[in-house]
Amino acid sequence: MNQADVSRLVSKLKINVLPKHRRLTNPDGPKGRMFRMQKTVTALFKHERLEVTRNTADEARGYAERLISEAIRYGDKHNATMELADFWLLEKQLVHKLFKVLVPRFENYNISYTRCLPLTPTYPCTKTDQFPKSLLELRGNPYPPVMPKDPHNGSLLHNILLEEARKEMRQTQYLETAKSIGKEDKSAWVVNEKAEDSGSSSEDERKKD
Amino acid sequence: MSNLVLFQLRKSTVALSAISKLNKTHIEIQFNFKYLVGQLSQRLQSTSSQVVVRENTKREQKRVVPPNYRHIYPEFLPDPNMEFRNSVREKLERTDMINRRSRIEIPEFYVGSILAVTSSDEHAVGKTTKFVGICIKREFCGLRANFTLRNVVDNLGVEIKYEMYDPRLQRVQVLRLEKRLDSELLYLRDADPEFSTFPFDMDAEFLNEGAPVPVNPLKVNLRPPPWYARWERLQPKGAIIPELRGRRKEKSEKWLEKFSEPWEKYDLMKQYRKTIPEEEQDSIYSDIYSELHQMEIASKKLKRKKAFVKPKKTG
Repeated sequence: MNQADVSRLVSKLKINVLPKHRRLTNPDGPKGRMFRMQKTVTALFKHERLEVTRNTADEARGYAERLISEAIRYGDKHNATMELADFWLLEKQLVHKLFKVLVPRFENYNISYTRCLPLTPTYPCTKTDQFPKSLLELRGNPYPPVMPKDPHNGSLLHNILLEEARKEMRQTQYLETAKSIGKEDKSAWVVNEKAEDSGSSSEDERKKD
Repeated sequence: MSNLVLFQLRKSTVALSAISKLNKTHIEIQFNFKYLVGQLSQRLQSTSSQVVVRENTKREQKRVVPPNYRHIYPEFLPDPNMEFRNSVREKLERTDMINRRSRIEIPEFYVGSILAVTSSDEHAVGKTTKFVGICIKREFCGLRANFTLRNVVDNLGVEIKYEMYDPRLQRVQVLRLEKRLDSELLYLRDADPEFSTFPFDMDAEFLNEGAPVPVNPLKVNLRPPPWYARWERLQPKGAIIPELRGRRKEKSEKWLEKFSEPWEKYDLMKQYRKTIPEEEQDSIYSDIYSELHQMEIASKKLKRKKAFVKPKKTG
């Protein structure tokens, strides 16, 4: 058990953070891991949608969310935050994007700023294809959504019309059954009796034989 | 009714007729057009955009808890390591801590402050012992929170670890309230003894109410190595590391080249895993704020009563 560090205040992240960081094997060791995270975060801010290996995506997600939350908390006049953004974003125009575009976009969010979705595995043509990949994207990106919107939403036009069609069908069925209640088809009974008679007579005939 | 919606309606009727043909059912669809239009317009108005955005009222709300509580009462914050978290145990511990604090005044102190602790000792003459020393370390949280006091007594360095919520503690008095440049002063073990000696009959030094806690920028001279720990690697701010020579120098340079992480201050997730987020801190302290505040008021009243110091005879 150790004491919590109280020298700085951090905002709570709205993503699932694992108790320990992933080492992410790298020939340059922890330095290489950090550089890989920098590249991923830079690419995420630049393109707003990435396809990366699952573990990299999850690790980079934490760093991206933290960077955005620090930028929201302190703003762009704060020296330490500027240094942080300068370290993490390898392309310097993205520092402007962070403070001018992403901070106003995510300021009032009470959900996560990023979305991480698992991707289906691809046929292993290259060595990297064998590792499961994830889609890592910033919310509010300009691309069409990856996940389709709920097709069963009752407020959508096609569902309203289909519901009405179903109601109509039920109405007609009820009307038909209502009509048929008064006029019971007695001929049906007769048919059954006849069938039974014929059955029994055949049995009698067998017994006789 | 907009043209777009009408167009969509027509489109959908075409689609439905296609579906019915596929299913080979003969359903006579007679839409109640007016009813449908009414339904549509209702639903289009009601369905707002799916963005989950709420006005950020948290920062606008008034803070009940003063912002410095996390410095004064750091042991109330749980261990940031997720594997050791237990909300029930934390809550029970907090109530026990408050109960103990209502019996004895545990003052605000930091690593680098000089404390005088009176504790009950079965082997002592008056069944109590008093120890004065500089706080070199504060460990753990909850009821297990402890602090270590260091002093040099008869040319022998002595360190005593006291648990803050130990019922054997009778009095904890802060003689000098100050902070140092580091969060741990373990290098005092390898420093000249003058930096760790404090007289047992030291008088309490008073600070003005509301004044910020002073930071002592003292840099301690370390004795030549070997040391308790490799201070050249840890590089404490409050110690002057002497120049190393020979093999020790080589090894330290190699180690620093290989293991020093200049990016550590930018490692956001490492920081996050070491801290308790602000929202959690607020919820924890707001639980116990009323009791702590009452205790503070009571202790202030007592201090004002005891402010008169008896004049000592000099001649």
